[in-house]
Amino acid sequence: MKNSGKLKTTTLDIALIGMMVAVIEVCKVALMGLPNIELTTFWIIMFTLFFGRKIIFVIPVFILIEGCIFGMQIWWVMYLYAWPLLAMIAWIFRKQESVWFWSILSAIFGLFFGFLCAIPYVVIGAVDGGLVSGLYAGFTWWIAGIPYDLLHCVGNFVLMLVLHYPIKGAMKKVNRLLKG
Amino acid sequence: MTENKKLNKKIIGGIVALVALIAIFVGLFIAFRPKPAEGSKAITIVVVNDAKESNTYEVKTDAEYLKQAMEEAEGLTFECDGTGMLMTVNGVTADWNVNQSYWALYVNDDYGQFGISEQPIYDGEAFRIEYTVSEF
Repeated sequence: MKNSGKLKTTTLDIALIGMMVAVIEVCKVALMGLPNIELTTFWIIMFTLFFGRKIIFVIPVFILIEGCIFGMQIWWVMYLYAWPLLAMIAWIFRKQESVWFWSILSAIFGLFFGFLCAIPYVVIGAVDGGLVSGLYAGFTWWIAGIPYDLLHCVGNFVLMLVLHYPIKGAMKKVNRLLKG
Repeated sequence: MTENKKLNKKIIGGIVALVALIAIFVGLFIAFRPKPAEGSKAITIVVVNDAKESNTYEVKTDAEYLKQAMEEAEGLTFECDGTGMLMTVNGVTADWNVNQSYWALYVNDDYGQFGISEQPIYDGEAFRIEYTVSEF
């Protein structure tokens, strides 16, 4: 999978970044009714693989739009590090071609999403009642959400397994068109 | 062929690792999940029978009304008539038609305004159900 690997931004890049954000946002809103079934993980991985460092611009815009639409609550703080972390992991493993690898990675990310999101609760608890209290608050919050993390895990796995090849084919076509 | 085998092994290894992780998460959830809390309201129900003997029941409940809390009280038995009026408590029957007796309900020592089905309950309240013979 190739990517530009350049941070230089052209008009085309700006349009592309806008399209990527729109795709993520539309899919997110469309699937909002389903608990923890989302395509954000899928798209961030695919966009990182195909458009490389452009994802650096996509994620902040996506997070900002989410905050504007739904309000900048505690979940929004979680987005600030969870999605960039995913993009970073995808970037590290960008040479992997196997759909199984990406499905398993997506599943693991879904499984640990609650764990990642517990971090602000640790901080809040620690500020209020010390480190032990913070760790307890984060731990109980994480444990209570594990059934949803399991759903997230299965959803991410299946979506990546089903959509990886067709989207990969479509993106290759887009890349060819972009390169003229 | 060997490449394929290696790839298959990696895939199987990855899936096994994922299943193991899921199992660990399920185990953690079962071990540490939030347990259903005992009832959030603690109330006391005292039954005073026709011999002026009293039995006390401490109940922790989420019930909204006294009747449900009484059903949850261990050792307390009662029956109501068709209108919901308390007739028999712990085997003692109060019958107005026989001796003008009835079960009086006191809420925090004040005479209750409702039947047990309509009597709301709040944390810390004390209820007394007392066998009473009318003096009229």
